[in-house]
This record gives sequence, structure tokens and C-alpha cells, in this order.
Amino acid sequence: MESVLTLIYKLFFSGLSNLTSYLAAHVLLCLLPAFVIAGAMTALIPKETVTRFLGRNTPKYISYPAAAAAGFLLAICSCTVIPLFAGIHKKGAGLGPAITFLFVAPAVNILALTYTGAVIGIDLAIARLILSISFGIGVGIIMALIFRKADAEHDKRTDALFAGQAKMKKVAVIFLLVLVALLVVGTFQIDILKTVYYQLDLSIPGIHPLQEKLIDLVPFDPSRGEEGVTVQGLFLIGMLTLIGLAAWKGIEKIHDGITGWTWLSTILVGLTLIFASLGISPYPGGVSLLLTGKFFGVLILIVVLTWMIPTQLTQDETRDFLWESWRFVKQIFPLLILGVFAVGVIRELIKPEWIQAIAGENTVLGNFAGVIFGVFMYFPTLVEVPIARMFLDLGMHRGPLLAYLISDPELSLQSILITSSIIGRLKAWVYVGWVALFSTIAGLLYGAWVDGTGLGLVAVYLMLFLGLLAGLFWFIESRLKIKQA
Amino acid sequence: MLKIKILGTGCPNCKKLEQEARKAAQNLAIEAEFEKITDFQKIMDYDVLSTPGLVINDQVVVSGRIPSQNELTSFLTNALG
Repeated sequence: MESVLTLIYKLFFSGLSNLTSYLAAHVLLCLLPAFVIAGAMTALIPKETVTRFLGRNTPKYISYPAAAAAGFLLAICSCTVIPLFAGIHKKGAGLGPAITFLFVAPAVNILALTYTGAVIGIDLAIARLILSISFGIGVGIIMALIFRKADAEHDKRTDALFAGQAKMKKVAVIFLLVLVALLVVGTFQIDILKTVYYQLDLSIPGIHPLQEKLIDLVPFDPSRGEEGVTVQGLFLIGMLTLIGLAAWKGIEKIHDGITGWTWLSTILVGLTLIFASLGISPYPGGVSLLLTGKFFGVLILIVVLTWMIPTQLTQDETRDFLWESWRFVKQIFPLLILGVFAVGVIRELIKPEWIQAIAGENTVLGNFAGVIFGVFMYFPTLVEVPIARMFLDLGMHRGPLLAYLISDPELSLQSILITSSIIGRLKAWVYVGWVALFSTIAGLLYGAWVDGTGLGLVAVYLMLFLGLLAGLFWFIESRLKIKQA
Repeated sequence: MLKIKILGTGCPNCKKLEQEARKAAQNLAIEAEFEKITDFQKIMDYDVLSTPGLVINDQVVVSGRIPSQNELTSFLTNALG
């Protein structure tokens, strides 16, 4: 009986400790701006800026990259993914670009990328971006070739849906760039940002004992990548709760008008970011505040935003971007918190040997195992990242890890069903097959690079693989033409 | 009487749009019949690239965002002619 209780206790604290380390300062510094950017992108980028390149008469070398761009810029929300996918497929550029869009959309949206960068590493985030876009275009072209005939039948429909013209306002572009700068300054670990330029020693007693108590209360093991709870982390969790409360009053009802609560919640977000960018190290009898390059960068950008939002954006723009950001937070954050807690619990139960035996090295089998896990498991948006982190800590190789990270958001039973209702079951399963293959290859290539293969050689492998595919399809196509003739 | 349709598979923004549209109609004291279109195939017939969409008398007036009360008021008054 007692051993069961100990186990439950241990599991609970493992979950809790995981949760607090994911709410630590460096994660918040990337996640909060990412939510705001996602909201601003949804609200301020008119869809027509990209969709006008997805019409039927656009040349292929424009429509495929445009489909990838649409996946990145427009498709943060499922309200856009499915209608846009069906629209491109039925009335626009056709099956190929539609598939490219579908492939790119979940894997490289701004939230997923920054979160991957902050929790696992910038290198993996960049690999996820580049490989998803190039393979997305690859899968699109292949699908268009395989199902050429069915695609031609759609050709007679009108193109008017994609004729809309719209330009992004200059202010909106600058606003988005400032937000991206905030994200970069908060996330990137480069010397100029890490250097401490100024140190403030405040003799506030009580902080050091509180820190000691927190370490006692939530023990952690740095060798497993755990971070424990800091006083700063505790404070930030408190700030987040306040933001949530203020937003519930000010942003949830924002369509009735912007109120004091609305401004209070935005000001709290700004203060939270500035506080999170401080380096805080308690010592007996006081606390040192370390003012790094990061702190000054964040401070300046927050000041710029404080000026921009009330004076440069219209009230409609402010309302829309705040509403969209809040909607993302409401939709994703609670599930993320539950997911992170669950990952912490599960981690106690998985033996590192299992993971190492299956995917400890960059083998075809290891990468394929990563993909299979990704296909059959469905996790809510962003939860795939803490899960990947857990696998990494348990000894998974970074190659299979990438294979998993690419395939998991692409394919879930749910998304396969929706896709097949739009393009038909056969096409949907052929698509699944290609995604599985391409994810495996992506993992293998990236894994080879991690293991020390030169970037040039990896590029050569990539070219060889794509060349082989292209050759195969050229061969099939010329055979078909002979038959028809 | 106006026929107002809300296009959307049930995402939070679709519900919000319906609320806002009802509010605008009420403020103008317009009699309107509301219908929610949640079937995806039917939504696609309306030529929208993103949901939620607002259709007044079979004309798509806005899609992909929630319009402000001012906009909604002018959509409704225009539709009344």
C-alpha cells in the first residue's frame, strides 16, 4: 500500500516539476510573443496577399512556393486550413499546391517553430522549417503527377475566388516585424544578448530562504534536464494568472468595446516579458538583478510597442489582433499545461533503455519508428514538443526526433479523415504514405548531419533522393504518353 | 425579412460571429432568420476561403474574420435596401 502511495507521490511531483520548468522564464519569453505574433498574423495579414498566387492560371513555380507561404502565414488556425485546402484543390491551383499547403501548415506555423526552438534547440527548429517546406513542395508535385487525370476535371471551374487583390498596410508590416524582433531577442542565445551589462544588488531578505524552500519542496535533477522552481518562475506563474484574469474581463468581451481591463491585460503582458528577461540570482540576505543585453532589448521593444499599439493601429486592428491572440491562448494553453504535466508523469514510467534500443541511433528503423509513433498518436497543438523533449532526454537520437516532429502534426487519424472527405480516400492514403516516407528521409538526413556528416554531403544526398524521384516520375510519365499516343 | 447564414464548422469565431450578428440585427430592430451552415460541402458552395463566413440573402458579405458592429450594421441596412 505504502509503495503505491510513494509511486503516486513521485509521479505527481515529476509532473509538477515538468510543468514548472516549462513555465520558466526562457520559455515564456518565446511563447508569449509567439501567441501575440500568431494573433497579429491572423488579424492583420489579408488572405488575398497570398491567395491571389494560388489561382488556376498562376505558373507552377509561383503557386507551389505561394502554397508553402500560405501554410506558414495564414494557416495558424484550423478555421483557415480546411476551407483554404478545399478551395485551392477544387477551385484554384489544384491538388499539388493544395497538398503542399496541407503539409506545410501544421508543421511550420510560428507557434510550433518557436516552441521547438526554445524547448529543444534552434537547430532542430530550422531543420523542421527547411525540410518541411522543401518536402511539402515535393509531396505536392508527386501527388499532382500521380493524380493528373482527376485534377484536369476540376480545370473548368472559375478562377474568380482567387482574383482578390489586397495589400498589407505598412504599419501592420512594421508592427509584425517589431513583434518578431521581440521574439528573436527573447529567444536567441547569442553573446551580445547574454552579456551582463549592469548588476543591481538589492538587499531584500526572504528571497533566498524562499528559493531554498522551493528547492526542498520540488526536488529536481539537473542531469535529466530538469530545471526546478525558481523564485522568478513562481512570480511569473503569478503574473500569468493575473493576465488570464484581466484578459477574461478585457479581451473575452472585447467586441463590446475596449475597456480598462483590456489595457490592463496588455500592460501586464509587457511587464511579464520585461520581468522574464531579467536575470535573477538570490544570495543570502538579498538578490542580484542581472541586466543583460536581452533585458535592454526587450525593454526597448516593449516601449516601441507601447507607443505603437494605441497610436498607430486602428481600434479595429487592435481589437482583432488581441482577440485572435487570446483565442489561441484559450484554445492551446490549457491543453498544453495538461499535456506537459502528463508528459512529466509518463516520463517516470518509461525506461530510457527502451527508447535507446529503438531510436537511440540514426538508423532507418529508428527514424521509421519515430514516424509511426507520430502517425498513430494524436496530441493537441504544441504538446508534441514537450513529448519530443522527453524522448530526447531519454536518449532518442535527434534524427528520429525530427522524423517524429515532422510526422506528428501532419498526420493524425482525425486529419486523415477530414482530408479524405475532401480529396477522396485513395488520394488521402497515398498522401499519408508519402508523408511517412519523406519524414523518415528528413530524419535520416538531419540525423546524418548531427552525426558529423558535412552539410554539403547532406545536400548531395537530398539532391540524389529528389533526383531519383524526379527521374522515376519522368519515366512513368513518358511511358504513359507513349500509351496514350 | 432578411435571411442570415453563418458559415462555419463550429469554431469559436463562428459562434462569436453569430452572437455579434444577432446583436446588430436586434439593435436595428430588423427581423431576421438565422441559419447555421456547418456541413463542410455546403460551406464550400459559397466561395469562401476561410471561416467564419456571413451570408445575407445568399450573398457572402464577409469571411475569415469577425466584423465590427459598425460594419455589421451597414451590411444589414444595405441588404434592406
